[in-house]
Amino acid sequence: MNEYKNYFKDNCGFGLLANIDNKATHTNVEDAIRALEKMMHRGAVAADGKSGDGSGLLFGMPKSFMRKVAMQNGIDLPKQFAVAMVFMQEEKQKTIINDILAANDLKVLFYRKVPIDTKALGEFALKSLPEIVQIFVKPNSISATRRFALSMYIARREIEKRMQEYEEFYICSFSDKSISYKGLVMPTHIKQFYSDLSCKDFKTSFALFHQRFSTNTLPQWKLAQPFRSIAHNGEINSISANRFNLYAKSEYMKSSVFTDKEMKKILPITYNNVSDSASLDNMLEFLLANGIDFFKAARVLIPSAWQNAPHMDSNLRAFYEYMSTCFEAWDGPAAVSLTDGRHIGCILDRNGLRPAKYIITKDKRIIISSEYGILDIDENNVIERGKLKSGEMIGVDLKYGKILKNDDINNYLKELNPYGKWLNHNMVYLQEFVDLPFTDLSDYEMNNIIPMQKMANITYEAKDMVIIPMMEEGKENTGSMGDDTPLAAFSDKQRCFSDFFKQKFAQVTNPPIDPIRERIVMSLNTGFGEIRNILDEDITHAKRLKVITPILMKEKIDVLLSFGNPNKPRYDRFYKNKTFSTLFEENLKGSLNDLAYDVVDAVKMDRIRVVVLSDKGMDSKLKAIPMAMAVGRVNQVLLEEGIRHLVSIVCITSEPYDSHSMASLITYGASAIYPYLLFATVLEVCKNKKLSSYETKIRFKNVLNALNLGLFKIISKMGISTIASYRNSALMDIIGLSKNIAQDCFSYSSCIIPGLGYEDIEQRLNKVHKEVYTQNERNQVFPIKLGGFYKYLRGEEFHGFSPDVIFAIHKVAQSGKAEDFRMLSKLSNKNNLKRIRDFFELNSDKDPIDLKDVEPKEEIFKRFSTAAMSLGSISPEAHEALAEAMNTIGGKSNSGEGGEATKRLKSPQRSKIKQIASGRFGVTPEYLRSAQEIQIKLAQGAKPGEGGQLPGHKVSPFIASLRYTMPGVTLISPPPHHDIYSIEDLAQLIFDLKQINPDAMISVKLVSSSHVGTIAAGVAKCYADKIIISGADGGTGAAPLTSIKFAGDPWEIGLSDTHNTLKANHLREFVRLETDGGLRTGLDIIKAAMIGAESYAFGTGALAVLGCKILRICHLNKCSTGIATQDETLREHFVGNVQKLINYFTLLAEDTREILASIGYSSIEEIVGRSDLLRVVEDKKAKKFDFSNILKRIGGVDTCQKERNNPIDKNIFEKEILKEVYPTIQNPDNHIVIKKEICNINRSFGVLISGEIAKFYGNSGLPENAMIFKLKGTPGQSFGAFLVKGITLKLDGNGNDYVGKGMNGGKIIITPKNQGDSFSSAGNACLYGATGGKFYAVGNVGERFCVRNSGATAVVEGVGDHACEYMTGGVSVVLGNTGINFAAGMTGGVAFVYDKDRGFIDRLNQELVVARRIDSDETDEAKHFLKKLLRDYINETSSNKAKYILDNYRHEVREFWMIRPKDLTKTPLNPDEGD
Amino acid sequence: MQNFTELERIDPERRGSNERIKDYKEIYEIFKTNDAATQAERCIQCGDPYCHNKCPLHNYIPFWLKATANIDKKLAFNLSNESNPFPEITGRICPVDRLCEGDCTLNQDGFGAITIGSIETFISENGFKHGLKPLFPGISSDKRVAVIGSGPSSMSVATYLLRAGIGVDMYEKASRPGGLLTYGIPNFKLNKKVVQRRYEWLKDAGLNLILNCEVGKDISFSEISKKCNGIFIGIGAQKPKKANIINEQSSGTLRALDFLINIQKKLFHESYDEKYDVKDKNVVVIGGGDTAMDCVRTAIREGAKSVKCLYRRDRVNMPGSKKEIKNAYDEGTQFIFNVTPKEIILNSDKKVIAVRMKKTMLTEKDNTGRQKVEVIKGSDFRIDTDIVIFSLGFEHEIPSFLAENGIEVNKYGGVIVDEHYETSKKGIFAGGDCQRGADLVVTAANDGKEAAHFIIKSLKRQEKII
Repeated sequence: MNEYKNYFKDNCGFGLLANIDNKATHTNVEDAIRALEKMMHRGAVAADGKSGDGSGLLFGMPKSFMRKVAMQNGIDLPKQFAVAMVFMQEEKQKTIINDILAANDLKVLFYRKVPIDTKALGEFALKSLPEIVQIFVKPNSISATRRFALSMYIARREIEKRMQEYEEFYICSFSDKSISYKGLVMPTHIKQFYSDLSCKDFKTSFALFHQRFSTNTLPQWKLAQPFRSIAHNGEINSISANRFNLYAKSEYMKSSVFTDKEMKKILPITYNNVSDSASLDNMLEFLLANGIDFFKAARVLIPSAWQNAPHMDSNLRAFYEYMSTCFEAWDGPAAVSLTDGRHIGCILDRNGLRPAKYIITKDKRIIISSEYGILDIDENNVIERGKLKSGEMIGVDLKYGKILKNDDINNYLKELNPYGKWLNHNMVYLQEFVDLPFTDLSDYEMNNIIPMQKMANITYEAKDMVIIPMMEEGKENTGSMGDDTPLAAFSDKQRCFSDFFKQKFAQVTNPPIDPIRERIVMSLNTGFGEIRNILDEDITHAKRLKVITPILMKEKIDVLLSFGNPNKPRYDRFYKNKTFSTLFEENLKGSLNDLAYDVVDAVKMDRIRVVVLSDKGMDSKLKAIPMAMAVGRVNQVLLEEGIRHLVSIVCITSEPYDSHSMASLITYGASAIYPYLLFATVLEVCKNKKLSSYETKIRFKNVLNALNLGLFKIISKMGISTIASYRNSALMDIIGLSKNIAQDCFSYSSCIIPGLGYEDIEQRLNKVHKEVYTQNERNQVFPIKLGGFYKYLRGEEFHGFSPDVIFAIHKVAQSGKAEDFRMLSKLSNKNNLKRIRDFFELNSDKDPIDLKDVEPKEEIFKRFSTAAMSLGSISPEAHEALAEAMNTIGGKSNSGEGGEATKRLKSPQRSKIKQIASGRFGVTPEYLRSAQEIQIKLAQGAKPGEGGQLPGHKVSPFIASLRYTMPGVTLISPPPHHDIYSIEDLAQLIFDLKQINPDAMISVKLVSSSHVGTIAAGVAKCYADKIIISGADGGTGAAPLTSIKFAGDPWEIGLSDTHNTLKANHLREFVRLETDGGLRTGLDIIKAAMIGAESYAFGTGALAVLGCKILRICHLNKCSTGIATQDETLREHFVGNVQKLINYFTLLAEDTREILASIGYSSIEEIVGRSDLLRVVEDKKAKKFDFSNILKRIGGVDTCQKERNNPIDKNIFEKEILKEVYPTIQNPDNHIVIKKEICNINRSFGVLISGEIAKFYGNSGLPENAMIFKLKGTPGQSFGAFLVKGITLKLDGNGNDYVGKGMNGGKIIITPKNQGDSFSSAGNACLYGATGGKFYAVGNVGERFCVRNSGATAVVEGVGDHACEYMTGGVSVVLGNTGINFAAGMTGGVAFVYDKDRGFIDRLNQELVVARRIDSDETDEAKHFLKKLLRDYINETSSNKAKYILDNYRHEVREFWMIRPKDLTKTPLNPDEGD
Repeated sequence: MQNFTELERIDPERRGSNERIKDYKEIYEIFKTNDAATQAERCIQCGDPYCHNKCPLHNYIPFWLKATANIDKKLAFNLSNESNPFPEITGRICPVDRLCEGDCTLNQDGFGAITIGSIETFISENGFKHGLKPLFPGISSDKRVAVIGSGPSSMSVATYLLRAGIGVDMYEKASRPGGLLTYGIPNFKLNKKVVQRRYEWLKDAGLNLILNCEVGKDISFSEISKKCNGIFIGIGAQKPKKANIINEQSSGTLRALDFLINIQKKLFHESYDEKYDVKDKNVVVIGGGDTAMDCVRTAIREGAKSVKCLYRRDRVNMPGSKKEIKNAYDEGTQFIFNVTPKEIILNSDKKVIAVRMKKTMLTEKDNTGRQKVEVIKGSDFRIDTDIVIFSLGFEHEIPSFLAENGIEVNKYGGVIVDEHYETSKKGIFAGGDCQRGADLVVTAANDGKEAAHFIIKSLKRQEKII
């Protein structure tokens, strides 16, 4: 059961405050606690309603207080003293502590039992309450006096190691500069819990504070933050790689402050079983302890994006490039506040995915936190109200009372050493030695290409579907529908070894990145050479060979090898290489180990630094160890031997031919790959086509480009931006390989359904090898295999939706006859063990009962829904048929995201489930209000971690009107929801949705993966009512083939994990569980129920009933069955209807009933979670695999017990106001003005009222200004979200994140008292997915302003990075500076930017848009359109800046740029004039 | 690809009916390269290729359509010739509207199927024109296989055996190889040179073709057995089914296949039976299948005065290929539906002068969706004619060597085989009509392909044992 509890992810609210001149006050303590209290909504509360996931504060040492306390204990503290804050369990721990401290020349003065009030604790917290003590310590010798901090560090590490048997033992802090007070306490109770904090003498100059939101419910005391040097909001996506690399780096570290003996006590720097944040803390602390500069330490761990930032200062870039030889980014969304006691600082990750806002006051204080408004600070006292942009850092040097802004820090860092010079002298780019890549094709002229291709499973289909599209398009091929082939382990056909791996992806707790639109943060930069002592800096560190992508062609591998070949003039011993053959005759396991230890010997004895694994030379005797296996094993053995840091691994391999197979080598340790057989195949195709050498070269480059983009996509879907942070990350799930193989080669990955061992793999290799190299009578004319993996081919790989099955479904749909359904069931259930569930059979503990005693089909229908398919991806006819059929039988249809025509909302064609996805297309108050269930799609089975695209040709006028855009405009859905970067954001969105539609159930759709249960537990704590675990085989309208095939796991894995994790965390009773993915028969339903699902969704199956034939061309708008198309002629060929669906679902329900009767149960409810009623079939094949994890049943409630999972925040504030304004809703002419004070705990203001208006009036809302709210203060997040027409929000103050997201009408006017560039008026992601309305804000707003705006008109005075991303409509005016990457992926609408300092064009992403001046006659219309808009803006806000511009318009108009999509420069400016 | 919304289905040019009945030349032109390409471009490239699924040979149709669309003749040729021993023949004579084209998504969804058959013919013919031909590795095995019969299944088995480097001795009782392909299918559907061409290549590849040699008569089965390591029996099913009516066997009543064979012999300028001359005679063909169509169309070309086709169901229910029915109609055949023969009326010379018919009607569809034929009482009428050709299907002939060698047959006379095409006697295989009953050429071709696969396996097993 622990396995379901010990794995977790956490996010949170965080912040810090400090007196810049280091003045200790008790006010600081009180303010820090108050601030923490005000971010309570960013944390979570345990099931006992009181425990919380932990919160805490790290204070600058309150020296006077400690002296007083010591005096009370009869001790007069010396000048040098330190206090450890410890969670203890037993008396005898004290002995250990005392001994170790003494051994380190530290003297224990006394132990103090920290006074606590247990009444502040919840039930869970109380149960695990440790003994909280402070240990007062002083140096015991002269040397200890000098090395006091170091001694404490060593001592603490030593104690921690010795205490490993005590799981709960924990040293919160041990320092002379800071002390931590934390625990499993809610922020509102921390003051009560630690009475020290109320003591007026408790004075500090700074405090870091943190409120935790963990995905599990039994969090531990020690996991509360802050840690000793950081408080982290976010998640380190690359943590597994960072830890691996850290072990490698630790192999050779020389410290200037610690002796080798001391280092031994300190190492390892971190452990795998602590949280990602804790590891980061360990690492930072280690660097600081070793005397690494505070700012340098911070920036090497969380660098800003430098590789592809064209306008970065070259010296700063040199600093980062130099540092990259020792450090890779700890990559992922992060806002980190940190301190070493003298400095405090805060950093934001390179992508700006967490908020970090700061205020600097006249009375010399700085406050940084996730939200504004956590302290009431008089506006007159504010000097600056700002926020960190992507990749920025801010710091304070308390010793000198100086604030250090991002530029100050950068200027300091880049001058620390002559990095540029060092690099110039030592760093070599392989490209420098290559005249023209792809000129030397000699290696690709292979006379044995056919057997090689056969061995590598390069089929005709692989060429046709994978390789040739890369050659022609320069990107990976797009496909559609889902993957209906078996897992590699269950297949009896030849499969690539990389098929055993399923890509991991980000969902909820960390966002994926858009590698195309946000390319600026991405990099595939790769280096070769040993990793040197990371604790010092010198010129030799810069000695690296570099390439810009890990995929090498002949020319580059030649250059690389020439550097390491003593016989070549370029030879440099730092790159000495040796090639190791991966070929073997027999005994895979032995050969693998021989290989690994050969490598070890060579590295140790021959000082080899570049290990080349090559499978060249295969023949009728020799075959190759799967390359991923070889890489993984070598990688691990090198680490075990302590020499991993010395080498780079390079693969010369015939195996990989798509990005997935490349990624599976890199993630297990390869630095570079030379895929020679892929290139040979490319050449073969070019030759067959008789292409010229120029054309051939272009094909090669295209393939390289496609693979690079593919790698970007794979790492970005995990939220990782650089390949360096992906290498060694093991970010794949392994399905069906034995534990031995996993342990030996891929030990960092989850090994699911352990199965095939070395012998099995060898047997599979032998089979193929024999087939290839013995005379084969078949395939003589056309020698390579045809395929069958992507499309059905008779006799080849199994496909769940084969022609026979499709015909059977069509027959059932048409006839509605039970015998036809039985045929279908037979066909579908007899799969010869191809899907996980095929391995299970029913094993009832009861006798059969009479069918009439089973619940009626109507009860079962309630559990059925159709999977989300948007109107746009499918035709209106199909969409409506699904809705009407589900409504008729009493199930639910899912709109998919993309809006729904108003006339349907109250008709039998209404979709009861409305989906909200990352594009927010057509997501309006009316749409949300019409739902019975609102489903938040966090990931999609076919392409988890990726966005989507509806190509312009599919955007018909009708679709455009529903999605608030113009016909023909390409619509891009971002990979992440831009209002969900972490778990507390999801809680916020769920809260928003529960306000807009209090009647609807909120569901969250996740995709199956190992440990998805952890995410689901978090989602349950976000107050979702239902969680959907979608199988990776789910369909799609369009996705890259590698995503359809290789990302995510089958639903059985995720569902079982989720069900059990929820149970282990006592959360199952709060939420319902649903699953989807290839469910077709009653047996499927029964099995899904037994594994834990209460309801079931049908996607592809339902479409098949409507006539879909799995043509897999949904992305082409050419569907001949008239389903996945908007083409009117094609739609005439649609043969589906409501009755067909009713026929099918009726028979399905009846089938389910019959099985229920046969196992003696009368309802589905009774079998939900009863995995004990399943057993593994008796079969030779089944015996190979261990399904126990999937069939595991732990104790606890198996089904949801609550009607609704209601948030703790009841939103009383707005409910009261709703009562006041209700008369206006009843009588819209009865205009009303309300005045209120508002603060940051009043979240989602306006949403509840908008929902109530939309309930009656839809999106037409109320007359303009029917309700005016005059608000003063700093409202919480989602201010004015989903605002409806008729409401005007006038805010005297400033907003937080997500102001006006999804707004459809009305006005939001923000007028803070302070105007000017130094003052922010709102946070991040404002107007995300807005469909209308007006937003005027005097001042700057945060990152990602107007993302996916499709209709709102906005005027602000400055924006952060990535503004107007994916915008498809509306108007956005920026009267000031913008951040980088403006208008990335903008396909509609218009933006105006006032560019006084003429730096804007560098910050514009020019891929899709064009910027024009508006001071010519030609742009007369624009000029006056803007003028009118500014006049309106001034009328509403009295902005000084706008007034100045307007007063001097004739002159200032020249400073404006107008930004519009390249292909939409002729459409009207005013959205009202559009269609 | 996926050009079906812009482009309609177009069949290759067909010679006008007035012109074509004057000779025995094939009536369809071969596609021009561009037409084949644009027609192929209509293909959807389904995720579930229904054409491929339906095709008895499971030809890689979508793949070679795409290659054709890309004007990659070599790729198309190789893909097409991989799974099919003679694609230019199946392309010409397959009832595609019931097979690949019938199941084509575009056909089912009402857009008009891809012209798969014609493109298949094009691919090979165009390839041959450009010097491509099926490649054989030469005989590399010391094992030999005897094949009895030279029809489609035998030709197929020989092709795949030769591809695997195994020598084949083929025994054919006629003077030309090809079985039904040569004698049963009229020239206007399949030019005999096409069959001949394949045999030339097979001979080049090492086929030992022994003509005019009937097993059990000219050579004994045991003699064959001694000379080889495995035997394939592909002797077809050519015995006509009977109508069981009065005077069925008279002068003037002919069997369809005999008719076609004799006319073919005549065209080959070989000796033939002159009773099959129908010039200036009134001809009635009874039956509605493809062979019936072959008969009526042959009769027309032979100069018959009138040609009538009588069929007991209606037009929709005709078992023959729609295309062939249309061609027969265009060439001047009169169709009389819903009738069934009761008696052949003879004159005093015992010569046929008429057929007495009864009208029929179809019953309501039963559970299987099939409509039965019911005779309408008292609906007798008579059709005057000089010749009656019965085309009612075929049964097995059972050569005596089967029983003599312990090769079991079923109650219909079909050779019994297991799922590996092996007969009750080890090492002896059978396929095609003689095993499954009269069926399509393409089905026989697949039997041959599959049987070859299992024969090779069995030879390998023998090797191991030795």
